[in-house]
Amino acid sequence: MRVEDARLVTGGGKFAADWNEPGQLYGQFVRSDRAHAEIVSVDTGAARRHAGVKAVFTGADAVRAGYVKAPHGLNFPGVNGMQTRAPDRPVLANGKVRFVGEALALVVADSPAAAADAAELVAIVYRDLPAVVSPEGALGKGAPQLHEGVVPGNLALETEAGDAAAVEAAFARAAHITRLKLEVSRVAPNPMEPRACLVRHDPADGSYLFHVCSQGITTLRKQISTYTAVPEDKIRFELGDVGGGFGQRTPAYPEYCALMIAAKETGRPVKWVSTRSEGFVSDTHGRANIIDGALALDREGRFLAMRLDWVNDMGAYVSPGSPGHIRNTTTCMTGVYRIPALYAHYRVVLTNTTPVSSYRGAGRPDIAYVVERLVSQAAAELDIDAAELRRRNFIPPEAFPYKTPTGSTYEYADLPGLLDEALRHADWKGFEKRRALSKKRGRLRGLGISTVIENTGAGQAPKDEVELELDAHGTVAVYTVSKAQGHSHETTLAMIVSDALEVPLESIEVRQCAPERAHLIGGHTGGSRTTVGAGSVCHLAALKLVEQGRALAALELGVEPSQVEYAKGVFRSSESRRSIRLGELARKGSVSVVAEGKFGSTFPNGCHIVEVDIDPETGATEIASYSTVDDCGKVINHTVVEGQLHGGIVQGAGQIFGEHIVYDPDTGQTLTGSFMDYCMPRAGMLREIRAEERPTPSKVSPLGVKGMGESGCTASLPALANAVMDALRPIAVPHLDMPLTPAKLWNAVHAARKGGSH
Amino acid sequence: MAKVEIKVNGVKKSRNVEDRTLLANFLRDELGLTGTHIGCDTSQCGCCTVHVNGRAVKSCSMLAVQANGAEVLTIEGLAKNGRLHPVQQAFSECHGLQCGFCTPGMIMTTVGILKDNPNPSEDEIIHGLEGNLCRCTGYINIIKAVKQSAKMMRGKKAAGGGAKKAKAKRAKPKKAKKK
Amino acid sequence: MYATHYVKAKSLAEAAKLVASNPEAKVLAGGMTLVPTLKQRLAKPSHLVDIGALAELRGITAKGGSVTIGAATKHHEVATSAVVKKAIPALAYLAGLIGDPQVRNLGTIGGSVANNDPAADYPAAVLGLGATVVTNKRRIAADDYFQGLFTTALEEGEIITQLVFPVPKRAAYAKFPHPASGYAMTGVFVAQTADGIRVAVTGAGPGVFRWKAAESALGKSPKAAALEGAKLDASEMNEDIHATREYRANLVRVMAKRALAKL
Repeated sequence: MRVEDARLVTGGGKFAADWNEPGQLYGQFVRSDRAHAEIVSVDTGAARRHAGVKAVFTGADAVRAGYVKAPHGLNFPGVNGMQTRAPDRPVLANGKVRFVGEALALVVADSPAAAADAAELVAIVYRDLPAVVSPEGALGKGAPQLHEGVVPGNLALETEAGDAAAVEAAFARAAHITRLKLEVSRVAPNPMEPRACLVRHDPADGSYLFHVCSQGITTLRKQISTYTAVPEDKIRFELGDVGGGFGQRTPAYPEYCALMIAAKETGRPVKWVSTRSEGFVSDTHGRANIIDGALALDREGRFLAMRLDWVNDMGAYVSPGSPGHIRNTTTCMTGVYRIPALYAHYRVVLTNTTPVSSYRGAGRPDIAYVVERLVSQAAAELDIDAAELRRRNFIPPEAFPYKTPTGSTYEYADLPGLLDEALRHADWKGFEKRRALSKKRGRLRGLGISTVIENTGAGQAPKDEVELELDAHGTVAVYTVSKAQGHSHETTLAMIVSDALEVPLESIEVRQCAPERAHLIGGHTGGSRTTVGAGSVCHLAALKLVEQGRALAALELGVEPSQVEYAKGVFRSSESRRSIRLGELARKGSVSVVAEGKFGSTFPNGCHIVEVDIDPETGATEIASYSTVDDCGKVINHTVVEGQLHGGIVQGAGQIFGEHIVYDPDTGQTLTGSFMDYCMPRAGMLREIRAEERPTPSKVSPLGVKGMGESGCTASLPALANAVMDALRPIAVPHLDMPLTPAKLWNAVHAARKGGSH
Repeated sequence: MAKVEIKVNGVKKSRNVEDRTLLANFLRDELGLTGTHIGCDTSQCGCCTVHVNGRAVKSCSMLAVQANGAEVLTIEGLAKNGRLHPVQQAFSECHGLQCGFCTPGMIMTTVGILKDNPNPSEDEIIHGLEGNLCRCTGYINIIKAVKQSAKMMRGKKAAGGGAKKAKAKRAKPKKAKKK
Repeated sequence: MYATHYVKAKSLAEAAKLVASNPEAKVLAGGMTLVPTLKQRLAKPSHLVDIGALAELRGITAKGGSVTIGAATKHHEVATSAVVKKAIPALAYLAGLIGDPQVRNLGTIGGSVANNDPAADYPAAVLGLGATVVTNKRRIAADDYFQGLFTTALEEGEIITQLVFPVPKRAAYAKFPHPASGYAMTGVFVAQTADGIRVAVTGAGPGVFRWKAAESALGKSPKAAALEGAKLDASEMNEDIHATREYRANLVRVMAKRALAKL
């Protein structure tokens, strides 16, 4: 049983919408119902006069407050010295709206119902502009310009990685070139908790207190400060439980800053709780990348070079979570293979759509999908077994640490060993028999594989700090500024400290983002980093507490520290034949230690093998089996790790088989703006995952752990897509982009069969 | 405005609310029972599931005034005398929850499933969970938790009726035979 | 949701009177469509007249070759009714596929039939079985009742009180659910009645419809193969981001075959 479960299964969790402040008001945002338009006028008169309304704020207020410079992290050197063109984004749109759902006014009233009623009375006159929702369209000549004069051609950044000349040379001498143009579709992360934010302003010191769903206070605080110029020490948080995040809860959303204006101006705390419908258009989306890829091979099927041309859709503005799609896809561009020459070219494009940010993996699933699709496609074209082609090109174990052509260094992976075990585990050899059985039932069976590696754990924080505070009862409070959104920090971090201190788990209490320890430095929870970062520091902090305790115990026992031994919560000295318990050291006051650490990336890796059965009559796909062998380093809690793996895999399955944010190409309206149209995975989508661990401890983190919160998703996208394409290979269906919905698969099968029979 | 009187978790509660107040908001905002969550606005996610007169319903799709005079059971009323309900226990033991946001709805739905069908097959469990979304677990451990709940509850019933012993007796020779 | 007045009707007569005297009033039964619609502010009724608990609208009885179901009977009750399971098991099966358990615990058969969502399940059974829609004013044959997308023969203020289903020789329903909403992407109800085979299709077109070509083909030979040649105009099917017309037309044929196989 996890530590956090006791409250969560009884309704005792405290999520963002569960917070209240005395005297609070309620905010309702007025959102653009069009994709691209000039705002001619906003008349708030009728709304202000509505019963219960205290104030209405608009873009003019946002500009007046100076809340216009949205934070972003797209700090890569561009081609020919180009720098990122990051347009202003007033926290309430001013002058222009650029996507359906963009907030342009905030109504504040004494009840949610009054605020919602009055929001309808805000009269906006628009002058419609043509909209562009396709990123390739946005790059085209004559495309509507989102930010005229600031982002010419809607191109926010053009950048590159690798060695173009070397790649060109390798392609020139290649025996075979495999080409695929792929789309990693735009999806909605959709944590089950809708966003919520309650802001209280304290005029005495000019500070703001937030109750908000967050993945950790440090990144959010910094971004809010960047947006508003309110100093970081005036931005405070009191957080409870967080109902899922997946990257979407990291950034400082404009709504949060607009609520700051409202709280300050009205002198009352202001609470806003998003609906799911609002969330679909205003929470950041994920993925949304188009990749034109090519892989060059020699006569023996050895990889010579790979070239990727990316179009990264960022939505209407450059969002704070934007860098992952470049950083992570560059870091892991080579995949698990020795590819001597690599070149990637990126164009980051702005479109009349909801801004795109990190989503579980933030580029890692995207690059794994591209590489693993190319490899399986090459295997099919060359009629080489997909596992064999992989084996032939693996980075061999002796080549680690491996410096990739795009400049990152992989720590270690035993790829042949991993593959062998995975093939056995999934009965790779027995597939043809199962395919024949499926055929008898009228089904198309496919076998898919992915072998992936990813960079996790490093994060952007300068270091991670953890404070342990021991009290007289022997309870150890663990303070961290990371924040679980379902990750089980209260259990995993407590286990680490309990292990190191050799004391019962019950005596450890993990306190995340506690207001009284907001000064601690550290990363938020994202990028599979908390166990690697904060977790490792928990371990170091526990060791430090023992050392500090030893010194204190020596004084009490009247011996030298070197004469004091520690075990199971008790300091002993054989010389004095006395002992003292850990808690007793805190009789006169609590004992605190702060430890810190900065670790590089860890590289979890794994092999996922999938079989699917497609019903050609309806196009419906059943995942017939899913086996994994993963190396995520030393495992602290197997149940938690497996749970993360499950969730990641099924999020990948959701994206492959149904999830997709679709815009009307002409109007820019979202056509999948609710769970009625957006295909969330449901129970039964994947019934069983046969997961095996094959750990090789990381030396990067003192615990030997590797970050694994995203690896399920990274591996499942390509494995599932490869399985489906393998099933369709006998009837010669060319590459299909996700989502592989029943309708799409039926259409493809139908077209292929029609073509074949004539 | 309407006077709404509901027996919630065994205690009669009375409030004057706007007619348009949803049962979910009544529970959360008027009674402070925030264990009932609201995860969508199209009646799809099931986070708000409670029992009204013994049947699982989505409290976001029902007006509070519609429940006038009814008995409502929420997640807060499930544990008795500090002892977790078997479904709560099983969800925790099977790691059938991660962030915990969908969990109250999942648990209340599961209690409903097992009320109608104490020994559901995997297909029946999946069918029974159609109205509940989870984004963290991939559902695999949730299904496991439902199975385990069913087993625990059947065991409990059997123990109460003295049937457990008989069953254990039957099981033994079977095992021996296998050997 | 806009502000509104809730009235719990004490009798059908009172409900009818309230609706008649308030042109902007809406009848509330289970609310499984109405309440979500109100939440999205897509309707602004002056009154909600709740008929969900009226005893005169509830209950299931079998008599003289037909099953009568009160309009306020919940999907769950139909799905688990011993009477329905015995007389028309396909109808119980269909009711058990509607929405999800929570929806089935509130949603009513009358509400579903009155709303006539083009992707709802019940209309397929009502039309497929040639049921009679009984209202507070008259009896309407299913063939006259459904008039396309959210349109029915119901007049202003007319309230469904009962559905009368003739018991068929055999019947079956096959549904391909919409992957997001769970509604029918296509559902086909096939019934072998005293007057021959009826095939009703929901989800695929702008409203529930009888696939007459299939009916006549099956009349000659009640085998799946007969459906291969049955004419179905794909251009009359719905098309949206989830499915093309051709795909829906295909599903009609495949689901009809699967229903037939269950007969």
